Amino acid sequence: MAYSEKVIDHYENPRNVGSMDKNDPSVATGMVGAPACGDVMKLQLKISDEGIIEDAKFKTYGCGSAIASSSLVTEWVKGKSIDEAGKIKNTAIAEELALPPVKIHCSILAEDAIKAAIEDYKAKNG
Amino acid sequence: MRAILDYFQLFNIEQSFNVELSYLSQAYQTLQKSVHPDRFAHASSQEQLLAVQKSAEINDAYQTLKEPIKRAEYLLNLRGVEMPNEQHSFSDTSFLMRQMELREMLDDVKTSNDVDAALAEAQRELSIEHQQHFDLMSAQINENSAASNALACDNLRKLKFYQKLNIEIERIEDSLFDD
Repeated sequence: MAYSEKVIDHYENPRNVGSMDKNDPSVATGMVGAPACGDVMKLQLKISDEGIIEDAKFKTYGCGSAIASSSLVTEWVKGKSIDEAGKIKNTAIAEELALPPVKIHCSILAEDAIKAAIEDYKAKNG
Repeated sequence: MRAILDYFQLFNIEQSFNVELSYLSQAYQTLQKSVHPDRFAHASSQEQLLAVQKSAEINDAYQTLKEPIKRAEYLLNLRGVEMPNEQHSFSDTSFLMRQMELREMLDDVKTSNDVDAALAEAQRELSIEHQQHFDLMSAQINENSAASNALACDNLRKLKFYQKLNIEIERIEDSLFDD
């Protein structure tokens, strides 16, 4: 199966790979996994007191599409409010990366990672 | 006309997670012989077609029951347990954190000073955890209550992550032999 140019670009030059201190109250951590392929995705957001995402890091073990989806998401969420970030849809990710139907679940995983991170933030700062 | 048998009935074994593999393999071979094309050499083309279809079904059944994860999934399905869609993300955070650590451990194996020792240690750790989840799932399936079946389903999904880790560790092993 051929990957799109955008997927290859993110795969070869992933943006914002790394980790933040998950115990920092301003850091939200979203962990999600896909049993079907064993992919594991961690998305971390640094959120200001005003609820703006100042920084984002990811670490993903999975296929090229899963890595590209999480890499893209870190670019997209930066500067957004958590409400705006929570509205990012997997269809937009899949469209941007031109994911084939069998790889749609990678974009779902990335959307779910944002949601999980926001939930973590709300739980921490509720 | 043919009755629709489930895979356990097909091999005439009890519907249970505990399958005697040697018995299953014998039953499989006996059944396959009964539909072997040689026996249908002089049969009508329709009978030949049915025999081929039956053979494929027997093969599917065998492949499903032989492999514990597939057997578990099939058995839970027969019991009417609602399996989460494969597209549905898994979000047990502490489990996934541990998965992340195990992946990182495998990454470290590749760059370790003593790769053989690091690989052996990783294999040991992985197999212990894999076995724990597997034993837990077996017990939950055998208990066969609504609650235990749901828990078994959850463990089944966890085991898939360990399957992936096992594939990864095999890949590391292969790459060591290549050098």
